[in-house]
Amino acid sequence: MTQPAPASPPEYPGISGLIHKSLPKAAFTVLSTKTDADLQVAAADLLELVQGLFERKELAFDMLANITGIDMGEDKLAVKYNFYSFKHNHRVQVTVTVPWANRHVPSLTSIYGAADWHEREAAEMLGLVFDGHPNPKALLLDEDVRIHPLLKSHPLQTVEILQGIEEGVPGFKF
Amino acid sequence: MSVWPEERVTTIDSFNTVDMTINVGPQHPATHGVFRMVLTVDGEVVVDCEPYIGYLHRGLEKLTENHDYRQSMGWWDRTDYLAGLCCEGAYCMAVEKMAGLEVPERAEYIRVMMMELSRINSHFMFLGAFGADVGSFGTSFIYAWRERERIYDFFEEVSGDRMFPTYFRPGGLMADLPENYESRVRWLLGSINQGLEDLDGLLTGNEIFVERCKGLSPMSTSRAVNLGITGPILRATGLPWDLRKAEPYSVYDRMKFDIPIGESGDIFDRYFVRLSEIYQSTKIIEQCLEQMPKGLVLNPDLPKTLRIDNAECYIRTEGTKGEYGVYAMARGGVKPYRMKLRSPSFCNLAALKEMVVGNYLADAIIILGSLDIVLGEVDK
Amino acid sequence: MTFLFSDPVFGVWNWVDAIIRILVIVLVMTFVVIYLTYGERKVVARFQQRLGPTKTGTAGLLQGFADTIKLASKEDIRPTNADRWVFEFAPYLTFIPVLMVLVSLPFAKDWGVRDLSLGMFYVFAILGLNIVGILMAGLGSGNKYALLGGVRAAAQMVSYEIPLVLSLLSVAMIAGSLNLNEIAMRQSFTPDNGQYAPFIFLQPLAFIIFFTAMLSELHRAPFDIPVAESEIVGGYFVEYSGMRWSMFQLTEYASMWAFSVFGSIVFLGGWAVPDTSDWWGPDWGWQLGITFIKSVAWILAIMWVRITVPRLRIDQLMSFCWKVLLPMALVQLLMNGFILVYDWPPILLTLTSGAGAALLVAIIITRAIHRPKSKLVGTYKQVGVAAR
Repeated sequence: MTQPAPASPPEYPGISGLIHKSLPKAAFTVLSTKTDADLQVAAADLLELVQGLFERKELAFDMLANITGIDMGEDKLAVKYNFYSFKHNHRVQVTVTVPWANRHVPSLTSIYGAADWHEREAAEMLGLVFDGHPNPKALLLDEDVRIHPLLKSHPLQTVEILQGIEEGVPGFKF
Repeated sequence: MSVWPEERVTTIDSFNTVDMTINVGPQHPATHGVFRMVLTVDGEVVVDCEPYIGYLHRGLEKLTENHDYRQSMGWWDRTDYLAGLCCEGAYCMAVEKMAGLEVPERAEYIRVMMMELSRINSHFMFLGAFGADVGSFGTSFIYAWRERERIYDFFEEVSGDRMFPTYFRPGGLMADLPENYESRVRWLLGSINQGLEDLDGLLTGNEIFVERCKGLSPMSTSRAVNLGITGPILRATGLPWDLRKAEPYSVYDRMKFDIPIGESGDIFDRYFVRLSEIYQSTKIIEQCLEQMPKGLVLNPDLPKTLRIDNAECYIRTEGTKGEYGVYAMARGGVKPYRMKLRSPSFCNLAALKEMVVGNYLADAIIILGSLDIVLGEVDK
Repeated sequence: MTFLFSDPVFGVWNWVDAIIRILVIVLVMTFVVIYLTYGERKVVARFQQRLGPTKTGTAGLLQGFADTIKLASKEDIRPTNADRWVFEFAPYLTFIPVLMVLVSLPFAKDWGVRDLSLGMFYVFAILGLNIVGILMAGLGSGNKYALLGGVRAAAQMVSYEIPLVLSLLSVAMIAGSLNLNEIAMRQSFTPDNGQYAPFIFLQPLAFIIFFTAMLSELHRAPFDIPVAESEIVGGYFVEYSGMRWSMFQLTEYASMWAFSVFGSIVFLGGWAVPDTSDWWGPDWGWQLGITFIKSVAWILAIMWVRITVPRLRIDQLMSFCWKVLLPMALVQLLMNGFILVYDWPPILLTLTSGAGAALLVAIIITRAIHRPKSKLVGTYKQVGVAAR
């Protein structure tokens, strides 16, 4: 779990200082994990920030390494993006937290080709919706299996009927 | 006056051809597991390719969330089952990072040695299977298998299991190496070098092999990076990027080795990069043997039950196929809250369509082979 | 009555004689095929550092019979959407031409079913029929892999028939005959037929072209494109099982045997080289032995090629046929014509054809040398760039 940074003055650990300097308009708060600086962004600001990360010469985050969807509990989902720059050999993590009721996240496929399958996987595993994804089909599960196994509410062992069940609220019973 | 009468020209419409859809897999000798791709071919040329994965989906991440840190080891072995120890290494590093555990130096050296043996194992599998894909009637396969069997024998001697050793532990190793390990490994290295020479002689110089692979499906570095391709395929495009050097983990910073790179990212370069990496791995193993310190192999402060409070990390290691990343999150308790595998095969396979379309059907098989996918890793 | 019994074409004894000979040749062929599969498995295994079959009988010698029994007792499955008659007759139609070829081959002097005066012409006329059965199998199976395999096979066999026939034609020009017995005798060093040697020495280029085209006709590596296991999983016989599948196997190995005997007659002198007429013992025994040894050598060469080389792609295969083999065969034919018409010394045959063969090899070598250079070509031990 991320550790909250001190409130004032805003401190930018590691790479986030550089990001703040080159993208002063981007709205994010910074936490840090054991390995990376973790930028917390609202879903609406994500695309703009990532565009900046990708395009600015001094940042040049040219690789999207990983997308992780997490069920954070309390009806919240988080999406973690891990970026890496081959040019400068630095990395950063971006987190978007969305409520279950409005679980829409902009798709990054327009910027990173790598986002395609990662987003499809996160979408089917956690029920996230990636707006603007060109091919939002199921990837690992069957197409007509409407379950999201990585939600914490999904039962571990008692799944019996899988096919043809309509998508419901988290915590649906089988 | 036209050479062709009018009616001759118009009747050409009746020669319109129809594209054919071919289903390759999930049971097909060239898909290296239960992978399925639906190819649309115009005669012999592929015009569309739609990959379908998930036939081997075992819910690795869900399982990991519901087992404690040591129980999950076996599951992570089975992701990249050709190089189980590399996966174990990444998993253990993630847990150690979150828990702040130290690993004894001897254990680190043994880990590096075993991971490199796994890498050799996996690359040999690639060479063998790739030769079979190109059509050399299993000769390369059997040549590669000889070395693989010997490596597996060593794994069995060390850990008790051949394919899924479950030898690493968060905080060290299950047990120390057997006493005669040094002579065993040195003999193994000689055997590996012999096998490498055999395969090199069988495939690299072969006119037909080169004719098939050279210049096929080249890829630029920038495109490969954008598609998230890592590992030997990225290095084949000419970028000398290897996480063992770029972000050295374990004791890789003490090892001297080179990064083989290609030029155009075509199939031959991918093949040759892997062939050369085996040789570099043998050099790393030799250095491990020389530098191996004495001491414990498991952290003595390791608690009986590992509990990790709030922590989060993203660990990246150089797996055999590329960047093997583990995103891990703990929120207290004996189980991880979330563990996500960033598997290299998964990301490399996502680029399959782009590589295959426009090539011949026979080449599509080779391109798939050159990606060196492991379905356990793709489907999780 | 005398007409019924003694007529050379319609006479009863003639037919009885022919039927007995055919029965013998079918039995021999079955036996040969069984041991050819066994031999191939053993040879391939030894090349690949394995043992091959060892369990059935001493050193696995009965393996072929066990396989035959297994195949014969297997269920004969026909897919629902297969065209019934086309599907069921295809294996026999591929097999019959091979059997018909065997009819004309002399295994020793006068040891064949029939000695045909147009034997060589007959062989390549009949072999062309093979395509019909293969296309039927490909189309009738109702399977896309089979269809691809059948179409590939048709394209490949039709293309390679031409250099095959042209290379044989240039031999027939020198021999001055299409009779296989006469072609064989022409190659022995008897005083009455000039200073002729086996045609492999007179026409090395024709030999190379024939061998290549033969591999293609047999669907052996590196030309096993129609049956490519790693691409189209067996090609045209992917839907067959049991006896019908074994008919295809039988065809494959029987035609391998037929081609090796035919090739050794045409290029290696068959039973006539070396001349055994004044050796101890029965003449036919030596001649059969010589044919056996030559065809075994021929088959081993085919296996060796299969084990070591990868498969070509279909367009490379076609361009090799039309751009390399066919022009060379034509040029050779032309040169032979000049030399024979103007009675130039026969050594010129060797020289021109040898020059052609050297050219063919040189083309391949220059292609290998002028390959686009890469840092990687070289030895894998020298490759390496330090990290940033």
